[in-house]
Parts: sequence; C-alpha cells; structure tokens
Amino acid sequence: MDFSKIFLVLKREYLTRAKSKSFILSTALTPIVLIAFFGFLAWIMTSDSESEKTVGIYDQTGVLVENLISLDSLRYSDVSYLPLDTVKAMVLRQDLDSYLLLEERHIETNENAELIYKESGGLAFNGSVRSDVREVIQEERLTRANVSDEVKQLFARRPGLDSRKLTEEGEAEDDKAGFMSGVGFVLGLLIFIGLFGYGAVLMRSVIEEKTNRIVEVITSSLKPIELLIGKVAGVCLLGFTQFTVWAVMYIGFSMAAVPVAGVLMQDQIAQATEGQDLEQVAAEAGFDPSSLEVLSIDPMIFVYFFLFFVLGFFMYASIFAAVGSAVDSEQDTQQFMPILMIPLIGAYVLNTRIMVEPDSTLAVVASMFPLTSPINMITRIATTDVPVWQIGASLALLVASFFGVMWVSAKIYRVGILMYGKKASFGDFAKWIKQS
Amino acid sequence: MTIIHVENIRKSFGKNKAVDDVSFDVEKGRIFGLLGPNGAGKTTTIRMINNILGPDQGSITINGQIASPLTQKMIGYMPEERGLYKKMKVGEQLLYLTQLKGMKTKAAKEAIHYWLDRFDASDWTKKEVGELSKGMSQKIQFIATIAHDPDIYIFDEPFSGLDPINSDMLKDIIIELKNNGKTILFSTHRMEQVEQMCDDICLFNKGKAVLQGKLREVKASFGKNTINLEFDGDGSFLDKLEGVRLNNRSTNFAEIRVLNGQSMQDILKLAMEHAEIHKFERIEPSLNEIFISTVGEDNLKAQQLEEAQ
Repeated sequence: MDFSKIFLVLKREYLTRAKSKSFILSTALTPIVLIAFFGFLAWIMTSDSESEKTVGIYDQTGVLVENLISLDSLRYSDVSYLPLDTVKAMVLRQDLDSYLLLEERHIETNENAELIYKESGGLAFNGSVRSDVREVIQEERLTRANVSDEVKQLFARRPGLDSRKLTEEGEAEDDKAGFMSGVGFVLGLLIFIGLFGYGAVLMRSVIEEKTNRIVEVITSSLKPIELLIGKVAGVCLLGFTQFTVWAVMYIGFSMAAVPVAGVLMQDQIAQATEGQDLEQVAAEAGFDPSSLEVLSIDPMIFVYFFLFFVLGFFMYASIFAAVGSAVDSEQDTQQFMPILMIPLIGAYVLNTRIMVEPDSTLAVVASMFPLTSPINMITRIATTDVPVWQIGASLALLVASFFGVMWVSAKIYRVGILMYGKKASFGDFAKWIKQS
Repeated sequence: MTIIHVENIRKSFGKNKAVDDVSFDVEKGRIFGLLGPNGAGKTTTIRMINNILGPDQGSITINGQIASPLTQKMIGYMPEERGLYKKMKVGEQLLYLTQLKGMKTKAAKEAIHYWLDRFDASDWTKKEVGELSKGMSQKIQFIATIAHDPDIYIFDEPFSGLDPINSDMLKDIIIELKNNGKTILFSTHRMEQVEQMCDDICLFNKGKAVLQGKLREVKASFGKNTINLEFDGDGSFLDKLEGVRLNNRSTNFAEIRVLNGQSMQDILKLAMEHAEIHKFERIEPSLNEIFISTVGEDNLKAQQLEEAQ
C-alpha cells in the first residue's frame, strides 16, 4: 500500500469536488432551505386561520352571549333579538358565516349545542368555537352551583407535568428527552442522508472514471485498492467538511437564536394572555422560556456522530463503489440498488421507533447490527444513556464488517473497472470475487 | 539487452483463454510491434506488462524486476481506449497523472511545461479537458503518457482514432524516443506502420504468439515468393491465375503472392500474352501478406465480419 499515492487520489477527489460550484451552493443553501422550511411549518401551525369567520349567537338563556362576546368580540355577535328565520336567512346570504343556538338545556343537561353554517367551517374553527362554548357553559354551571371564585380559579388552572432526569450524582437535571429524541432522530437522518448522498457521489465518480476510460491510465500507476481507498476517503472528507460547516452554522445560529427566540416567545405569550399571570400560562402550555437552554447539545454526541458516520460511510461507500465499477452508466445501477436500499431505509424506518423507545430490545439490536448501527446508534446515544459496552461493541462490529465488506468490494472493484460493455449480474460478482 | 521479458504467461477470463502460453523478449532501445487481429490477446498482454492484471501463470520481468508497482513507474502507458477527466483543468490533470507515476512535484511541473511548449499547448493549462477538441485532448494524452520520462513506452493501438497531423506527430515522437535510447512497444493491426517503424515484431493469434523475431528476418524467412507486377492493358488475366493470392490489386498494378510452388515463369508468360509489362520483380512478401498467411484468411474474414456487425 503506497500512502503517498492514496493521498494524491484523496486530494484530487476532495479538491475537484470541494471547489465545484454545486458543492459550495449545496453547503450554503441546505441549512437556509431547512430553516425556511421549518419556519414555514411553524408559521402554518401558529397562524390564525379561523379568526375571519363570524358566529351569530342566538342565546335563549340570556347569560352566555356576553361571556362569549368578551372572549372574542370580532367573532361573536348577539343576534338573539332577531327572529330565528332572519338569522338563518343571514347565514344563507353569508352576512354571517354561522349561527349558534344556545338554550337552557345545554347548561342543565349534557346535550351538545349545535353550530350551523352554510359553508364548511373547518376543523380548527369548529374546535375553537367548541372550546369557547365549553368554557362559558362550564363557568355558568359553576356559578349556578354557587361555587366560590377561588374554586373557579382552581378549576381554570390545569396542572402541567415537568420531567426531570436522575443522574448518578443524585441531582435531578432538567430532562430534555423531547428535544434530545428529536436531535437523535435528526442526527440519524443526517447519517442516513450522508451515507446515501455521498455514497451516490462516490458511485458516480467511479462510473465517471470508467466511462471516461481514465481508469486504465490510473491503474497503470497504482493498485485498484489504493484508488478505492483514496476515493472513499476523499468523498468522506467532503462529507465531513459539509457536516462541519453545518455544525458550526448550527452552533452559531443557536447561540444567536436562543436569546432572540426567548424574547420573542415571552412577547408572544405576554400578548396572547394580555396581562395574565405569565408563569401560569407557560406552565399550562408545558413550556418554560428558560428551557430554550436545552438547545445546546453535548459535544460528545458530535464526536460519536463523526465516528459512526466515518465508519458507516467507509463500509457503505465501498459497496457503492463496487456497484459503480460493475456498470457502464448510472441507469444500470438499478438492479444492484436493493443491497444498499434495504438496510439503509430499514434503519431509517427503525429510527422512528428507536427515537421514542431508545431502550427497547429492538433498539439495542438495531444499534449493534453493523448495517444499521451507524444510523440507529447515534439516535440512541442522543436520546438515552447508552451503556459504554454497547457503544464499544457496536463500533467493534462496525469496524470488523467494514474490513470484510471492503475486502469483498475491492475484489469486485478491481475486476469491474476494466470490464466494458457487459451488463454485470450478481453471478458475475461471485465470479469476480473468486477470480481475483 | 532484454528490458521486457515475458515468459510462458497465461491468462483466462472464465473459460476464455485470453493469453495462452506466450513468451517474448523486448530489447532495450528498439521499437517492438505487437500485431494481431482483435481479440488475439494483445491488450491483455499489455495490461499484464503494465501490472494492471496479473498473469495466471508465467512471469513478466521489467528491467530484471518482476512486474510490480515499482516497475509501473518505468513505463509510460497509453491505452487503446483513451480518456481523461473531462472536468479537470489540463495543468492539474497532467500534474496529477505524472505525480501518480512517482515524479516529484517540481520535476513534474518542469516536464509538463516542456512538453506543453513543444506541442504549442501552453495556453491550455487552465482549460478543462471537456472544452478541448479531440485533436487537442489527444496531445494532452501523449503528454500524460510521456511526461514522467520513463524508459519504456507502451502504446495500445496508438494510431487508431488519431487525425493525420497527430498521427504523424506521434510517429515522430516514437522515433525521437527511440533515438534517445528509449524502448517502445506498441500494438496495432495496421501493417504499413509496422513496416515503417518496427525493429521487432510478435504476431498474436487466438491468444498465442504465432510468429516473432526481427522484422527483416521474419520477412526474409518467407523468401522472395511475391511478384510485384506493373502493366498496361486489360488486367482480367489476373483472375485466371491459379495457386496465387492477389494483394494490393489496382488497374495497372498487382502484388501477387505465389503459393504451392506455382512457377513464376508461367505467370510472366501469361501476363505478357495479355498486357504490356512495365515491371516484374520478385520481392519479399509484405507484412500484410505474412499476417494473412500466418493467421489464415478464414480467420481474418470471420474477424472482419464480426467487426462489421
């Protein structure tokens, strides 16, 4: 093994790609696109889509309508003084979007009130009206039962649940389980995307060398295995670079974003509650502004991330390279793709379970099995406290199978790169492995 | 002095015996031609000399060393299927390929500079290969083959696909390299180039080396059994001849290979009866004729049919 040659190959593979416009663009734009996407999602989820619709209250009890109007004076209006037929006509003419008939029986029995509209109100609108009606009816019921104001307040106050984690030192830490399982899933997803994306980059690179016919010139200068290792390492370094840039962007962004987001959210909460007790509302929402600190991630997780990414990549990339070496064009790779797709997509699907049950037997097995461990173990490490022996065993298995896979792939690769015009099959793979 | 020593090499791909017990020696400072129809095993042999493939049996030594990564540095190799990285700049690409052959950066840059200058290609350094014309990229390919100044140069079908200008240029380079004491091995199926350039030849057929030696000696061994005939008049009498093979026939010229001891005097007589003879000369057979008679006409026709399809 001539390391100076491997280094030359690595350098070429890395530099020609890292200098390319597409790489620079994708590195810079991916986080922006992601942020924009999540921002868009957040906007959709928080935007007030139901506020436009109006509801006429036809209140026969005479006590509910005022309370409803005080909840949302834009939405609710009192139409009790009009004949019911006129109200119906208004809804049909679209002067009102809907009307609500409230009677004594709605307070005294458990019979549900009915919201009547011409065009569909939408689930969010219905839900919002339902909760308003529920609130005023409940209040009226409490009043009629002669309950004191104190008890009413107790009733209005829904208890929340905080979770804390007990550590060896006996101190209860702030538990970030929700956030960390999200982080774990995203890290697993990144490795999944990395293995697939950079693996495909490598595969295309192998095919390119083959179809350009440069590979024969190259192999008259070095061993195919040296070429293979150089290329895999070069593309791996490329992925490394991209992830590092993203990690730095994330850290910088979150350092800047935490205070900003904290202020924004406090503002929002203050606005929404208009002077109500802030802490109480926050607790009800299960949200504590100080919890934004959890956005900081333990740096060890990044170390494990790179470790599992690199080892997983070397293993998968050598398979991608072997597939690339066996074909003359990218279209011909279809028949071989299942060997890569099944374990990778399998690991991804498993991850959705592992994220919520990181200590289940399934999770332990998947995070040990070398074909899925690069994706599944990082999710577990982020989500739960994985015993050190499990991480060690997972890494050892991964390294061992990396050597095995690389050994077989290299044999296919060295025969494949010089085969032209013949569509290889799995049978050919077996022949080539025996041949070399 | 022998610089490439090939001894009893065999190489099979599955059931196909690509190279079947081939031996030959290439002498230092000479031009060695590997001839033979397509699929005769020339490229496989060349790949084994370049240590791209290993022989199943037998041995190859270069300068006294078994073929290995070390001997790869002594060889400049231009494969039949030529190729470069399309998206890489000419300068970077040449540097990369030359460094892979073990040359230090500084020396490599100087050598590349020298050759780019010689080919009037210095302006191209910053261009991507994909932007170059075919002729231009052929020149870059030569430079990539020779820039690391090896002792041995191997060209697989070097003239195929070359435009006439580059073809002449390559011929000149090969002669120049030889004059500088370098050794050249090339494979071809174009006989006129072999006649013009080669000192020694080895003829391949169906994986075996069927004929080899110094070009002059090989030709002499076939004897002066060919007639060079120039005439004026109706050439149809040529069709009546028996026991001959006609090569290079045209309206007033024919190269006649005499088979089975057919009398040359009878041919002359017949010719004189039908046409005015300007020249009747007994010569050694052309290499093309030797090629055909050794490989066999049937075999060749089958080959050509295959190629045409």
